[in-house]
Amino acid sequence: MTGSTPLDPKLLALLVCPLTKGPLIYDRERSELVSEAAGLAYPIHDGIPIMLPEQARRIG
Amino acid sequence: MASQYGERAADYVTSAVHAQGADLDRIEALAAGRGLGRVLDLGCGGGHVSYRLAPHVTQVVACDVTPPMLRAVEHEAAQRGLTNIATSEAPAERLPFSDGMFDGVFCRFSTHHWTDLEAGLREARRVLAPGGIGVFVDVTAPASAMADSWLQTLELLRDIAHVRDYSVAEWTGALTRSGFAIRPPKAARLRMAFENWVARTRTPEERVAAIRSLQRQAPAEVTQALAIESDGSFTLDVSTFEVEPAG
Repeated sequence: MTGSTPLDPKLLALLVCPLTKGPLIYDRERSELVSEAAGLAYPIHDGIPIMLPEQARRIG
Repeated sequence: MASQYGERAADYVTSAVHAQGADLDRIEALAAGRGLGRVLDLGCGGGHVSYRLAPHVTQVVACDVTPPMLRAVEHEAAQRGLTNIATSEAPAERLPFSDGMFDGVFCRFSTHHWTDLEAGLREARRVLAPGGIGVFVDVTAPASAMADSWLQTLELLRDIAHVRDYSVAEWTGALTRSGFAIRPPKAARLRMAFENWVARTRTPEERVAAIRSLQRQAPAEVTQALAIESDGSFTLDVSTFEVEPAG
């Protein structure tokens, strides 16, 4: 269910990291929104970004 | 709470209690002709606020903590030909948006699920632009402590995702502390037909029986305050709080 629907670019422009309120980078391939400051990658399911830190993937 | 609502998203899209109401008409009237740009439907549920707002604004962002609800909203918006609604899964208490980016924040029948009312209200205030408008609609608790406790108990038995129906006094305090100026709230009475009320949340039989048992033994003050009928139907207060950022 992950990935197939691309993220609405208008929505992408609006979203920030819910923890740091800093910018997000769209990783199209992994279908994730990456917050480098928080060290988290938020998944996108069916085109819907899941902006929950507890469901985000921890990145190095 | 998300799992509580997973299977019943479609019920909320079609529910008459949710799809209609003077409060929805009021929300649409507030938005119409105002030239609002981007607005937030906070705790969108079945998306009824979004569908009303979409024709009057540039863009609606609908957020909720229940992915099936968001997918139902995406589907329904497409059915209705509304192309300016985007959805995101996000809790009210920690919104993934920058300060002041919405001309309006609209929130209907959501706050009673929030784990932290004031954290959510502060976030709503934070993302609202100067000069923006906010509208919060929800069931409000009776002023009587006894009727208040009975209402919360019936609500919790019906839906374990229930947190609290706040009183008008609690609302006023919380909104003020969160940085909002409030207009005099509008109150309405909303009758809940018992069978639909418990069907919508798929309340298990033993808890339906507990609700009926409590209702039958309710003191007169409670029966009167909640207008409890013989079949378990009853009537709630719904309040609409129109706010703006405090100067």
